[in-house]
Amino acid sequence: MRKCLSLLAVLLLSVGWVFAQQKTITGRVVDAQNQPIPFASVKIKSSRAGVAADAEGKFTIKAKPGDILVVSASATGAAPTEITVGSENTLTVMLQGSKNNLSEVVVTALGIARSRNRVAYAAQTISGSDVSDNRSFDIAQSLSGKVAGVQISQNNTLGGSTNVILRGYKSITGDNQALFVIDGVPVNNNNTNSVGQMSGGGGYDYGSPISDLNPDDVASITVLKSAAATALYGSRASNGVILVTTKKGSNGLNVSLNLGVRRSYIDMSTFPQYQHEYGAGYGPYYDDGTGFAPYFYGYTGKQGLGPLVPTTEDASFGAAFDPNKMVYQWDALDPTSPYYQTERPWVAAKNGPITFFNKPVSTSQSILITNSNAQGSYKFGFTRDDENGILPNSNQVKNILTLAATYNVLKNLTIGGEANYYDIPATGRYETGYSPDRAPNPMNNFRQWWEMNVDVQELKQAYERTHANTTWNWADPYNGGKPIYWDNLYFSRYQNYESDDRKRLIGNVNAKWDPTDWLSFTGRVSLDQYHWIQENRANIGSVEVSGYSKFLDDFYERNVDLMANFHKNLGTSFNLNALVGANLRHSEDQTTSSQTNGGLALPGVWALSNSAATPAAPAEYDGIREVNGVYGSASLSYNELLTLEGTLRRDISSTLPKGHNAYYYPSVAAGFVFSKLLQNANWLSYGKLSANYAEVGADAPIYSVYDTYSILTPYSGSPVGSLLTTKNNADLKPERTRSKEINLELAFLQNRLGLTASYYSTKTVDDILPVTVSAATGYSSEFQNAGSMTNKGLELVVNGTPVKTRDFQWDITVNWSANRNKVVQLFKDASGQEAKDLQLAGFPFGQTMNAPLGQAFGQLRGSDFIYTNGKPTIDPNTGMYEVTSDVNENIGSIQPKWIGGIRNSLRVNDFSLSFLIDIKQGGSIFSLDQDFGQYDGLYPITAGLNANGKAKRSDVANGGGVILPGVTPDGKANTIYIQDNAAGAAYGFGAAPDKNFVYDAGFIKLREAILGYSLPHKLLAGTRSIKGVQLSLIGRNLWIIHKNLPMADPESGTSFGNISGFQSGVYPSTRDFSFNVKVNF
Amino acid sequence: MKILKQNFWMVSALLMLLGGCTKDLTKLNNDPKNPTNISYSALFTRGQQQLSNLLNTADYDFNPMNFFEQYWQETTYLNESQYDIFYRGIPDADWNTLYLNVLANLVRADSLAKIQVTDAGALANVHAQIDIMQVMAFYYLVTTYGDIPYSAAFNLVNNAFPKYDDAMTVYKDLLTRMSADIAALDDGSAGVGSADQIYGGDIDAWKKFASSLQLRMGITIADADDALAKTTVEAAAPNVFTSNADNANFAYLSSPPYVNPIYNFFILGARQGDFVACSTFITQLQSDNDPRLPLFFTTNSDTSANYTGGTPGDGVSYFGHAKPAPIIYTPDFRGVFIDYPETQFYLAEAAERGYSVGGTAASFYQNGVEGSIIEWGGDSASAKAYYNQSSVTYATAAGTWQQKIGTQAWIAFYNRAWDAWVDSRRLGYPVFPAPDKAKSTFPERFTYPVTETNVNSTNYSSAAAAIGGDNVTTKLFFVKN
Repeated sequence: MRKCLSLLAVLLLSVGWVFAQQKTITGRVVDAQNQPIPFASVKIKSSRAGVAADAEGKFTIKAKPGDILVVSASATGAAPTEITVGSENTLTVMLQGSKNNLSEVVVTALGIARSRNRVAYAAQTISGSDVSDNRSFDIAQSLSGKVAGVQISQNNTLGGSTNVILRGYKSITGDNQALFVIDGVPVNNNNTNSVGQMSGGGGYDYGSPISDLNPDDVASITVLKSAAATALYGSRASNGVILVTTKKGSNGLNVSLNLGVRRSYIDMSTFPQYQHEYGAGYGPYYDDGTGFAPYFYGYTGKQGLGPLVPTTEDASFGAAFDPNKMVYQWDALDPTSPYYQTERPWVAAKNGPITFFNKPVSTSQSILITNSNAQGSYKFGFTRDDENGILPNSNQVKNILTLAATYNVLKNLTIGGEANYYDIPATGRYETGYSPDRAPNPMNNFRQWWEMNVDVQELKQAYERTHANTTWNWADPYNGGKPIYWDNLYFSRYQNYESDDRKRLIGNVNAKWDPTDWLSFTGRVSLDQYHWIQENRANIGSVEVSGYSKFLDDFYERNVDLMANFHKNLGTSFNLNALVGANLRHSEDQTTSSQTNGGLALPGVWALSNSAATPAAPAEYDGIREVNGVYGSASLSYNELLTLEGTLRRDISSTLPKGHNAYYYPSVAAGFVFSKLLQNANWLSYGKLSANYAEVGADAPIYSVYDTYSILTPYSGSPVGSLLTTKNNADLKPERTRSKEINLELAFLQNRLGLTASYYSTKTVDDILPVTVSAATGYSSEFQNAGSMTNKGLELVVNGTPVKTRDFQWDITVNWSANRNKVVQLFKDASGQEAKDLQLAGFPFGQTMNAPLGQAFGQLRGSDFIYTNGKPTIDPNTGMYEVTSDVNENIGSIQPKWIGGIRNSLRVNDFSLSFLIDIKQGGSIFSLDQDFGQYDGLYPITAGLNANGKAKRSDVANGGGVILPGVTPDGKANTIYIQDNAAGAAYGFGAAPDKNFVYDAGFIKLREAILGYSLPHKLLAGTRSIKGVQLSLIGRNLWIIHKNLPMADPESGTSFGNISGFQSGVYPSTRDFSFNVKVNF
Repeated sequence: MKILKQNFWMVSALLMLLGGCTKDLTKLNNDPKNPTNISYSALFTRGQQQLSNLLNTADYDFNPMNFFEQYWQETTYLNESQYDIFYRGIPDADWNTLYLNVLANLVRADSLAKIQVTDAGALANVHAQIDIMQVMAFYYLVTTYGDIPYSAAFNLVNNAFPKYDDAMTVYKDLLTRMSADIAALDDGSAGVGSADQIYGGDIDAWKKFASSLQLRMGITIADADDALAKTTVEAAAPNVFTSNADNANFAYLSSPPYVNPIYNFFILGARQGDFVACSTFITQLQSDNDPRLPLFFTTNSDTSANYTGGTPGDGVSYFGHAKPAPIIYTPDFRGVFIDYPETQFYLAEAAERGYSVGGTAASFYQNGVEGSIIEWGGDSASAKAYYNQSSVTYATAAGTWQQKIGTQAWIAFYNRAWDAWVDSRRLGYPVFPAPDKAKSTFPERFTYPVTETNVNSTNYSSAAAAIGGDNVTTKLFFVKN
């Protein structure tokens, strides 16, 4: 089937174009204020052949002089206008409407464009340039701070994933990701990151497939946030929809070329600061009779018995640096080193961790050619991005080919097709989280386990000398060179790298048939298919056993859509827009993962056949989901004043058991443009109140109905199998989310000031989730319709144009949203006993993220202080913190208090400047980096002088040591000095509870600043072919204006998915500067 | 109608497309890659292997007992050496392994066997073999946590939050089950056969194995219920292991995945640098010139050729200290469930307690001491020489019988710290020095899993109250010293 469809698409696209010999008229449709009216219809009255205007109101049509053009924009309510074609080649058509007929058209579910007056739910639209002008490689990241109620989290890794949550987490364990729909076709955004990676363990962030989309091809993005707006999409839209409309050929020949170059610099406020006084060691423990206690070992080098740096100790609680002290360092054990068996002065490294990172240069090029006329349109595009990372040997390339066409077969029948091909190879993605294993995350070293005497450039030279794993972290200086915990970082980057490649085709063929002017049928078959290979390597000589693994992911989704659309004015006052449709969806995901067993036989041969022992059979997964839906909607509008709408969809899903697998999504909405009744109130340009209610359902994860066993590797020929620890459930029902929304839209002073406010309340019931049960049942969890969660929130968008003259315009948009979430039900068994908590993630060191009953989703738990008068209590005997005995205390919440953005755009003649401030207030993050880095003596807090002016690390008896902030049980301020001479003695884990490392995750960032210059038209007039040239200087993530988390970006950390609030080995963020040239021909 | 006629082919195409939605979608709920049925023996092997892995692992995420018993010492991550079992969530990890990976598979294997094994004699053996493994798993649960879900466990449909049963009541039921299982084993019929990775299904060997376990279970409650201990031990004693050849060793393979868990952790997981020998144990081994010292450990990496043990609770360097000998992290190193030297120490103790076990405490003790040396690869001459030292010989060794047996059993239990922990709690010997910065006094049990406190809250609270508080220092039912 999929072959057939691909072939069909190709055939359709290869149809040659025949253009009639008529004259070409280009034109523009505007309203009374000379503002463009987008998407107007332009038809030749005699033949009914026609075209649609684009988002800027521009159109191109072939016509003969004497033809009568009928220009209408039913969405705006303006009366159609007829114009007779004369000798002119350009036309400006003005459509008259009342002052309330704002030209803004909103694209709603299923791609139906409507006037704002007739939309009865919150839908915020941003233009394509909002996501492309910043030259970010990921459109999802570009939404950050621009749309109220959209929470974007991004990981600072090369090609890393982006989490897109609309109006809060609705399902306790479900996907919660907004659905991206491109030109009516839902696209896959499945993530292949492992559960361990998502919970802060080691792994790679393979990114979100949505990042494949080409920002340069986006015409506009509409975010549909309420269930009433998305109910027609069925269950997969239960977390909101982001509708992307791509550019269309609608304007004669248009060639646009983009050339960009970007350089990135590490934002040093997100990079660790170090102490530079002490080197390798965990403390003065090592009095083992060598005579070199307490920090060094005796070593028989060239000079005889001398002090050896404790290379096994990946910490910096060792001896104080002293340039007069000669010691054997790690390189004294490397026979290829000039310092082999040679003592060197004991000093801090000259080239610290920052020298490991590149200042990468990335480039992007794209060309997009569009053309259209009365016969049809086409679009052809190619994009190539070369993105280089801050780590050595890291690179991702994006190649995107686009071909789309429409052809008017008959005067009332248009067929079209589109194919987008993506090839996205990456090498050396960054390992994330806590991962002291293959290809370790270098930030685990630079934030957690490191010796301040180790010179990174010397490591580089050592690697380059032999390409062997010459490490600073020798296990054993006497018995051969082998690392104990950490490889040479350059060996890791060049020998133990990952690579992956996603080849993807997204395309569709469609037909639109308008038998009459009030009825149209649309049919479409679309597919989204990719093949993704991911390979991991660990060469012989690594700390971990060597190996090679390979993961293949074949994804395929097919959608067949049929829709009939009825739109008619009933009399002079009423307008009816109704549709019925059907959607057949089939998706299939097949994965195979295999790896070598027991190491590699030969170094550097990346093949499964190079396995030392026989590899186990590959693990396979084959998950199919089919959902068949039928739907209908009717929207009745009275005089553009009142709109009533109802929708109903019925889905049958394959992932639910028989009898429970069909479910309905009803929605009702009403809108009232009250400003129509206040025609005399000149201060009010627009006023609309709308309210809606919807109930949407969702199906279950694949294979949660019937129980199965897993088959394991046979034991010497005997079969081995196992029960799964999650019990499935043959009685599952669909989960449901009920949502209510009230919106107020106001505009004042001839639309110079606008305000949109939305209040919403959603309640998810019968949430399908694997509820945690007592392990004594033989299962850890069971699929149940058990959970219930509420989200209530407020969204505000204010936009204004403080200054607007011919030469200067200043626009400002502020958006703000706050969401409050609560888990109202988890799971009650038959006896009425109720689970009080559902653990969502266990982080690598005992901290957890939870959904506790009665509290918000995403509570962080761990150990806490014991408090006296609200202050941490100090044990008067030890001077150390008193800590709770358990690790089940609430220590923070991932939920922000509010998020917002402020965007300013200034235009002076041909110059434009825009900047975006992105704000997140509140929420917590646990930093394992601070926990371990302080424990390990890397950070300045652990060294320097105490209040007495003595070295903190010297003995308390000699005036050294530190006082921990807190109070003794009698409530008095702590005055007890404790030792700070060893790992965990005074700081970091062991010395303080988890709560001590929980930070406010809020931030204020200057997210984007774009300075643009358009070459004046008169300059280009001579060239004939060049229509416009735009030069821009772009900065992204320029400045973290405020944050509370030290040495890291509060946005970094866990990736895509429901889990956040944990940082381990996070990468610094980069300031990205781009220069871009855009030329239109 | 005219419209339809004109556009007949369009309408036909629409109808054709709609034709796709008539099939039964619910069939897609059948996972093509995972079976809905399986042979009982596949689950039996899994349960057995998972129990062996848990008892034989050195992974500090599961096994803090190596540090409780001061065999080993952590080099830099000292939580477990300082009696902190929370940091890595050990109570949850071990509880989950026993209930989910071991018992759930065995319980299901038992119910599947009733359908799959048609021969009545074979079924009796199969049931007994499965049940012996179950009883063993419950033994570790009840002696580690105290009261546990038992009678209401493994019944998710009716009981997602099972109540806890009194530990002693559970224990008595386990003894009843073990007696019945031993009685049911019949050499004349087949059993689990090659699914058994200990004896390859040899029923006679299983009888000895089960009797040895019965002996252990009897002696464990000697202080708590002397009469029951006596009958149990006396019933078991004639049938227990008679040499190391009888040992219940899980047969790990030489290449992954079924390798010894220490190989998995040390080599595949590259964690061997986290551990060195503990000074407490090294001192003991050195004080009596124990021939097992070089079998248990390698010397420091420095040039000294010394065996230096790390001080309990203190950070220590890896290469400046003695390290576990490579034998224990070879892939196919044995995974021990119960061995001959252990049974001999139990019998010695039984003799001291006046139970009729057919021998003297001294002779059993000597068998235990010498048997352990031989089990670890020592020769019988050096074993004899070691035993003949006055500080080792039963008659002249220092202290009470509890101290003598406790000390030698502790040495023999090297690399089997979970069993050592049961013994040393019960006997009160050896007495371990408190580690530096210890979080508590000597751990008497694991606290209940965090999941139980969150999910099975009501029953958890009752159980915690019933045992005298959910603390690591609460002494369990079998500890009376």
